[in-house]
Amino acid sequence: MRLPSTVAIAWRNLWRNGRRTGLALGAIGLSVTLVLLYDSVLRAYGEWMVETVTGPMLGHAQVHAVGWRKDRSMDRTLGDVSATLAALRRDPEVAGATARVYAPALAALGEEGFGVVVVGLDPAAEARPMGLLAGAREPPAAKRVLMGRPLAETMGARVGDELAIVGQGADGSLANDLYQVAGLVNTPVDFVNRQGVLMDLGEAQLLFAMPGEAHEIVVYGRDPDRAARLAARLASLPELAGGEVLDWRTLSPEMVALIRIVDVVWVFVLVLVFVAAAAGVANTMLMATWERTRELGMLLALGAGPGRIVRLVLWESVALGLTGALLGTALGVGLVALTHRTGVDYAALTGGGPSELSFGGLRWSMRLYPTLDAVDVLRTVAAVVITSLLASAWPATRAARLQPTQTLRE
Amino acid sequence: MGVWGLIRRASAAAALLACAAAAAAPPPPEVDRLLARLDDLYRSKSSVGRMEITVVTPRATRSMRLKAWTRGEEEVLVVVEAPARDAGTATLRVGDNLWNWLPRIARTIRVPPSMMMGSWMGTDFSNDDLVKESSLRKDFSGRVDRRSDDPPGWWLSLEVKPGVVGRWARMELLVSDEDLPVEERHFDRKGRLARTMRFDDVKLMGGRRLPVHLTLQPADQPGNRTEMRYLEIQFDVRVPDDTFSLSRLEQNR
Amino acid sequence: MAWVEGRYAARSVGRNLRRTALSVVGIGVGVGLALFMESVNRGREGLFARAAAYSGAGHLRVVPAGWRLRRDPRLRLHDWRADLEAARALPGARVAAPRARAQALLAMGTHVLTVEMVGVDAEVEPRAYRFVRTMAEGRWLEPGEAGSVVLGKAAAERLHAELGDDVLATAVGQRGGIESAMFRIVGLVASGSEDLDASVCQVTLEGLAQLAGTAGAGEVAVILADHHTTPEARAALAARVASGDEVMTFEEITPEFGGHLKQDAATSRFVNGVILLIVFLGVASAQLAAVLERRREFAVLSALGMGGRRMVRLVLLEALGLGSAGAALGVALGLPAAWHFARHGLDFSSFMGEGYSFQGLLIEPVIYADVGPWMVPFVAAVAFGATVLASLYPAWFAARIDPAVALRVAQ
Repeated sequence: MRLPSTVAIAWRNLWRNGRRTGLALGAIGLSVTLVLLYDSVLRAYGEWMVETVTGPMLGHAQVHAVGWRKDRSMDRTLGDVSATLAALRRDPEVAGATARVYAPALAALGEEGFGVVVVGLDPAAEARPMGLLAGAREPPAAKRVLMGRPLAETMGARVGDELAIVGQGADGSLANDLYQVAGLVNTPVDFVNRQGVLMDLGEAQLLFAMPGEAHEIVVYGRDPDRAARLAARLASLPELAGGEVLDWRTLSPEMVALIRIVDVVWVFVLVLVFVAAAAGVANTMLMATWERTRELGMLLALGAGPGRIVRLVLWESVALGLTGALLGTALGVGLVALTHRTGVDYAALTGGGPSELSFGGLRWSMRLYPTLDAVDVLRTVAAVVITSLLASAWPATRAARLQPTQTLRE
Repeated sequence: MGVWGLIRRASAAAALLACAAAAAAPPPPEVDRLLARLDDLYRSKSSVGRMEITVVTPRATRSMRLKAWTRGEEEVLVVVEAPARDAGTATLRVGDNLWNWLPRIARTIRVPPSMMMGSWMGTDFSNDDLVKESSLRKDFSGRVDRRSDDPPGWWLSLEVKPGVVGRWARMELLVSDEDLPVEERHFDRKGRLARTMRFDDVKLMGGRRLPVHLTLQPADQPGNRTEMRYLEIQFDVRVPDDTFSLSRLEQNR
Repeated sequence: MAWVEGRYAARSVGRNLRRTALSVVGIGVGVGLALFMESVNRGREGLFARAAAYSGAGHLRVVPAGWRLRRDPRLRLHDWRADLEAARALPGARVAAPRARAQALLAMGTHVLTVEMVGVDAEVEPRAYRFVRTMAEGRWLEPGEAGSVVLGKAAAERLHAELGDDVLATAVGQRGGIESAMFRIVGLVASGSEDLDASVCQVTLEGLAQLAGTAGAGEVAVILADHHTTPEARAALAARVASGDEVMTFEEITPEFGGHLKQDAATSRFVNGVILLIVFLGVASAQLAAVLERRREFAVLSALGMGGRRMVRLVLLEALGLGSAGAALGVALGLPAAWHFARHGLDFSSFMGEGYSFQGLLIEPVIYADVGPWMVPFVAAVAFGATVLASLYPAWFAARIDPAVALRVAQ
């Protein structure tokens, strides 16, 4: 133990000027916190968009009979849906699967007919969080149906009214029956609100003469990013032979494009956030190190070699950068952890934005659930440490090259 | 909406009962007179008939039996007789209004104009057949194209007259020596074959000799076709005035 | 005597040139970044407003009373010529385009397609509706020709029709009757969006009148030179249109879009907030770092008899000086970048492809940064806000300094 190592001296040095160190730590730490918070909101925004797009209607993958998507013909059905659903649910990547019937029909309270689309669905499955019927008070059951509120307004329908529905069965026969309006709903999907009569799946199968059949099976996977692979794997299930399995990105390129453009803009901003944070950290470190020229000169005069001085300053910056980054990470991660479960109201976050809006035929409730990935933290910490290192290296090497007398004069 | 188109053809105007006997090697027909005859073959001031419609798709075949009343161009009533599940269902058309009577739920529902433009019951007839007043003689200028040997008759070639609003640029008609239609080929405005209508099973029905079985075959969907067979038809019979009224529509049937 | 502090502050700034330069560069970079960000964000709002305006909605639209609720395309303006005159005379109006619409069924042989057919003024429309400016095939409509139609390429494909073909159009007429007319395809439009191309179906006003059986226009769309003036222009136009007609803004016409704009503005606020905080933090901490090292200097000044109040003034004056220089540098850094992107656009299309359509609006992923007088107060607020805030602590520190203690600490 000849000399305390440079690292140890650097560490001790840091605490000799507590005020300066505290300031640098605060600047670095808060920058890291802000970058991480931005990161977490960015991630939350992305997940929220995917959830909003896929949650109520689209799902992560859909199964149809070949050709149905093109002509929506009533008789292009998937057979023996319960067996298919059971097979789908056996896949460990499948979080949920539910079947739907879509039937164009004429609905009437009195004599006037209105064009509607009867959506036959499984109320329990559609009530999942972010689902079509999430929060609906009364599910459709037997002869009781739900109507989209705008449709009901157009038709003048009220809860309790008797609704005649006329359409064509999958076998070409005439489908017609009377139903009671059990409730009016505002689902997140515009088309359902404007045209939809929501009926229990079994009842719809009965009305449209398609026992055990459906037009669509919606699959929710564990991870929307892996939907394409999931769809490809599901397509090879024997129960789905003859069906067409597509993931949500293939089904809704428009929504994917929307998510893409928003993502690109956010990432662009992330770069600027990084630059701004780095500039702040660099400026602080430069300033602090430069003000130490006199002190460093004193060390030189006491016989410390220039290399040792540079090493000393660099170790100090690394220690500062790391400590600041860790403090900032702790604060940032803590805040994210606090809000991750409960979510943040976007309106509050942005100072008075809308708390929900409808766009692209969907209603978007503006609640975000901040989340972080280890990559975000590592990236930010690394960037901060490197920045503070570089920002102090320049003045330190410069000071080390000066004559001690010169530095004292400065 | 195929029923309507065909029923329209079977409605209004005076019937020509000329029933020329086939000659061995007849001279080419006079085109204008022939087109007028074809236009009026199924038309009458009023009619009562029963028919069977079969829709064939690659996945299924289904049939229904209908009874239909017509008067003039504007009034049509159709009641489903079979299948049993749909029996009694009636459709009334007066001018541009269309109503359905549904006995199972005892309701009359008016079909909104926007839905009248859509397809109906999955037949290969289109709304155009419903809404268009088409007349071979007025809309097309025809000429005799060539002689057909089997069946003996003439192929006529029809070009649409300038300024006519319609989907077909050209038609090819095979008319037998009996002056009855055998085949109509419809070519779209690009001159591509779009669909073929075949007429066969010539019978004496309602005082006219005419093909009672019609088949419509879209050109680009070989697996699909719609067939219609007249089971009985009476032309120019008296139809009670209240036949085409809502109150009558809702009575029993 | 403020000028004494002023002189001292100026000398102090000048004496330690390196520190000053560093401060100014720090403030300048921060201000420049914030300025650029704000400029891009303001441009982003313009992205959607522009897309909406040139995708047919216009900034303002004169519509018949009753259209607001029923949205029935068959409604016609009470006096469309008077409305058009009023719109053209409106200050700040760039284009006023009359249109009439009808739900129509196009048929080519056995192929049919439901579209919204739009009757337009052939001369004006290309300036109001971006996608008909460049035809993929054929030509645009000639004024007055009734029997021609311009279709989106995808619409033509679905009909199995090509340039030069005649299509049959069927529409529900004014009194519920069913009307038909023939149209020849004279041009095909390819906007890059399948969705949009399947819906474009434009004829002249005369052509639409022939089909629907009613002449006139159902709307006059107005595009303004500056979308920020929409509220005033709307009030001015509303006072001049024919009675029985009213004026709506594009946000009212597509409330969804209005909601989206609000959400977008909210996002901008959040993003800007984060950037501003980081810039503030960077500038303030660097200033603090500089001032902390000057305690010895303050102690000397204090020992020389400078009062606390004067010392505060001194520090604040220095901050203002640094802030001004930083603001100038920030503008010098940020403005050219913003200017460049205001002229050439910030193009995201390499990430996106050509563009994407949404609800009939084709949105080009190119952001034109916004450059304007708003920059002056913005830059001043950021630069002075950060520097003065950062100087408050040292000023307070300077004011209560005990020279003896300060000198000892500084040793």
